[in-house]
Amino acid sequence: MPFKNKPQTFSAAIKPVELGTGDKAITIGGENVLPLYSFDAPIENAPKVGVEISDTMLETAPARLKEFYAGCETMADMAKKAAELPGVSFICLHFESADPNGADTSADDCVAAAKAVSEAVDLPLVIMGCKNNEKDSELFNKVSDALQGKNILVLAAKEETYKAVGASAGLAFNQKVGAESSVDINLAKQLNVLMTQLGVKQDSIVMNVGNAAAGYGFEYVVSTMERVRLAALGQNDTTLQMPIMTPVAAETWGVKEAIASEADMPEWGDVEERGVDMEVVTATAVLAAGSDAVILRHPESIATVSKLISELM
Amino acid sequence: MALKGLDIFKLSPKTNCKECGVPTCMAFCMKVAQGALPIEKCPHMGADVIAKLSEATAPPMKTIQVGDFKMGGETVLARHEKTFVSKNLYAVSVSDADADADAKLAEMTKVDYERIGERMFVEMVFVTYAGNKDAYVELAKKAAAVPGRAVILDVNCPETAEAALEAIKDAKPVLNGATEENAEAMNALAVKYGVVLGVKADSLDALYDLTAKIEGLGNKNLVLNASTASIKAAFQFAVEIRRAAVKNTDRTFGYPVIVNAAALAAGDKTMQAALASLFTLKYGSIIVMEGMNYAQALPLYGLRQNIYTDPQKPMKVEPGIYPLNGADENSVCAVTVDFALTYFVVSGEIERSGVPCNLLISDAGGYSVLTAWAAGKLSASSIAKFFNEMDIAGKIKNRTLILPGKVAVLKGEVQDKLPDWNIVVGPTEAVQLVQFLKDYK
Amino acid sequence: MAKFITIGERIHCISPSIREAMATRNPEPILKRAKEQLDAGATYLDVNIGPAENDGEELMKWAVTLLQSEFDNVPLCLDTANKKAIEAGISVYNRSKGKPIVNSADAGDRIENIDLAAANDAIVIALCSAHGIAADNDERMMHCQNMLERGMSLGMEETDLWFDPLFLVVKGMQDKQMEVLEAIKMFSEMGLNTTGGLSNNSNGMPKNIRPIMDSAMIAMAMMQGMTSAIVNPCDQRLMETIKSCDVLKNNVLYADSYLDL
Repeated sequence: MPFKNKPQTFSAAIKPVELGTGDKAITIGGENVLPLYSFDAPIENAPKVGVEISDTMLETAPARLKEFYAGCETMADMAKKAAELPGVSFICLHFESADPNGADTSADDCVAAAKAVSEAVDLPLVIMGCKNNEKDSELFNKVSDALQGKNILVLAAKEETYKAVGASAGLAFNQKVGAESSVDINLAKQLNVLMTQLGVKQDSIVMNVGNAAAGYGFEYVVSTMERVRLAALGQNDTTLQMPIMTPVAAETWGVKEAIASEADMPEWGDVEERGVDMEVVTATAVLAAGSDAVILRHPESIATVSKLISELM
Repeated sequence: MALKGLDIFKLSPKTNCKECGVPTCMAFCMKVAQGALPIEKCPHMGADVIAKLSEATAPPMKTIQVGDFKMGGETVLARHEKTFVSKNLYAVSVSDADADADAKLAEMTKVDYERIGERMFVEMVFVTYAGNKDAYVELAKKAAAVPGRAVILDVNCPETAEAALEAIKDAKPVLNGATEENAEAMNALAVKYGVVLGVKADSLDALYDLTAKIEGLGNKNLVLNASTASIKAAFQFAVEIRRAAVKNTDRTFGYPVIVNAAALAAGDKTMQAALASLFTLKYGSIIVMEGMNYAQALPLYGLRQNIYTDPQKPMKVEPGIYPLNGADENSVCAVTVDFALTYFVVSGEIERSGVPCNLLISDAGGYSVLTAWAAGKLSASSIAKFFNEMDIAGKIKNRTLILPGKVAVLKGEVQDKLPDWNIVVGPTEAVQLVQFLKDYK
Repeated sequence: MAKFITIGERIHCISPSIREAMATRNPEPILKRAKEQLDAGATYLDVNIGPAENDGEELMKWAVTLLQSEFDNVPLCLDTANKKAIEAGISVYNRSKGKPIVNSADAGDRIENIDLAAANDAIVIALCSAHGIAADNDERMMHCQNMLERGMSLGMEETDLWFDPLFLVVKGMQDKQMEVLEAIKMFSEMGLNTTGGLSNNSNGMPKNIRPIMDSAMIAMAMMQGMTSAIVNPCDQRLMETIKSCDVLKNNVLYADSYLDL
């Protein structure tokens, strides 16, 4: 008897969400198959790779990454460089320095930097804050106002901040809003429900369900994403049919494997290669588990992951 | 091919005698079809019927043993459904055309370390035939001489295969080379030497037919090769084979899969790491790479360890003193639980702070801080007992101990049990440790 | 496991306003009841047009088209003794939200409704009775086997026969309740789908008690593996119980707002 191929397509689908404007606008989501199963049915919108530009990352960047951004003085300079990388579909500005316990860069200064970037490049913009709820709410509100019409994504509203962030970014300024939960599937669903009840349209919501570096409790990340996808497609749970965007770099460039110096760990070899491989392995795994977009930092990681995605489509 | 309940019912006695413990033959047969009951539970089934059915009711995916390593036997498609049972294995490829084959064999043993109780190393050598028979046999011997590794003979030429098999027959390598052209000859060799046979074909349909044919020759000790034509085809092979076996109980595809990432991305180490990640998540049982350095190994083995963790059993680290950032006997101490995730997060944050610190891991049954506290496994007396058993006071001169902020309530009791120590309550979240330690210093 | 399927029972010609609306082809009362039930969370809507011996075909077509065009192809359960009317209804039925359900076949005179469902790729509710209520579970299983074999021999998927053990009224047959629940478990363990008219169990009880009794019954039935029921979706307590059981059975992911969904 010949092989009976049974493609696993679902009548439900992930809701497509558009980011950015004009020729460079992108759409994430839309698929009705499990992650990367393009042999079951065509995946119209391939997963996207974004480049993370943090306002503090060059301080600790490894040599080749530093070299890539050599001569850049502002985030806009960096964004222009990054936008040239093949495989990059969007730019993520990560305002780590806004942390009140750190450099405490003012929201206005961050907004000015974001504005400069939006004038310098035409790729869609994603804005990440500093993990301080109050400061992030202020930053997301101001940046959403300043970049009206640019269809940006703020990453992200959390359980504590969804009302403020949803109301400003999502409702008042008509931007896209991320819903962030940290590896808690029930909260992931609840946040989507709450944001929808607030009036944010379903096609304006992107999920960040949390991440970890490979080896660091990453099984929870995989199972959360896989369960979200199976509920969205298999059970037609409309409250979970939002696309998932995963900031990978922010996790992977902080773990020992990526930062321990060669002096400390001579047998481990080149520190930058370790950082790249940690970023690539983690990014590939979150894509295979259900992410529609990943945010990466290193040009070599971006080249590999975007090539892998196009090979799989 | 799976049988439906009704097909089995037709062969059943239809007497509803209930001796199997199920009210009716129909209900019994439906349960057998789902794999919930073995057919032998029915005392009245004829031997011929049982023989016919036991095949159809066997587990969906076979467990294949190569040397000390076990592959397959999976019953679910996603780890949260139950657990994955046989972790995937990594192999490094060498060929008789490699000028540096010896160096590669020496290099592959360099990655060898322990992580949370598991030894991390490249388990297999994948010896590819490039056309020089004598060189190939010599290389196979060298590969078999690498201690503690299994060998895969990747060779489609029966004559060369036989010579290599004869040379290393005690190593019981995998014979990876049955194709549509040579299936009979290769199968005969695999049977003769008692080794696992690897099956290769260009399409899923052809692979299915060839596997069925070899099964028809009586051999069910097989592994299947994913396509090497493209990354997309390889991924499709891995997913469809596993899905056919586990979800659609099509046992012809109920075998482990070899993915040759070395062939899919020759010369591109980073892409091979990406492919190894993809196939670690999705259904590769053996993943072949051109090499394995620490940059690749550290994330990949961590990933594999995570994915193959039993969701029911927490991963634990060994209790003890973990000096971080060059800590010595004069450095401050911080105590926490032995839940692996807690250990990684806390040690990572302490390392980020750069402050020398002795991380003390106490035995808390592998639970997180709050769960362990609630279960009575992290208490003043458990900490005191740990200090005693490990002779902490004898090994460390510093007398400051940081408690996890989440169990601040224990401060008084711990102070009573360890009167010489200055007990300090730390932050509730690990990410606050960096600031805390810097301020404290 | 799939989410529990509720079939809303309130479009029924036994209700005077619905009977009147059907007779005069007045859409409003029917649409109103449909909307109430869908808002309350019903998956399928039952459309009972009564015996409808004269104009059944035309009436069923009208009702199917009316409901599906108004409510985004809501899946329907076609409920009448008139076989031609069911076929007529299926002929205009849109399957994008789910196959039509034929309500119903039994192991006696109405067994041919299985043939009808098989011929039209529909789901059929299969009552485990032939002539009157089954005496015990041996009889229920016998009926089940007969109907299952008939359906499968006609090429149906076994999951398209939804077996109805027939809920029995507590006031009068209290001692038989556990047997019905055991029948559900047997069907469920065979991998079969089940359904039934839930409220029959609370027939004759005071109005304020019925939702309580129905909720308890549905919880116990879902524990036994029941996959759907014909219910009054406007019974809030009942629907809350079903949603809660769906969470406990891991059919639906929990979120704090789960009752609002």
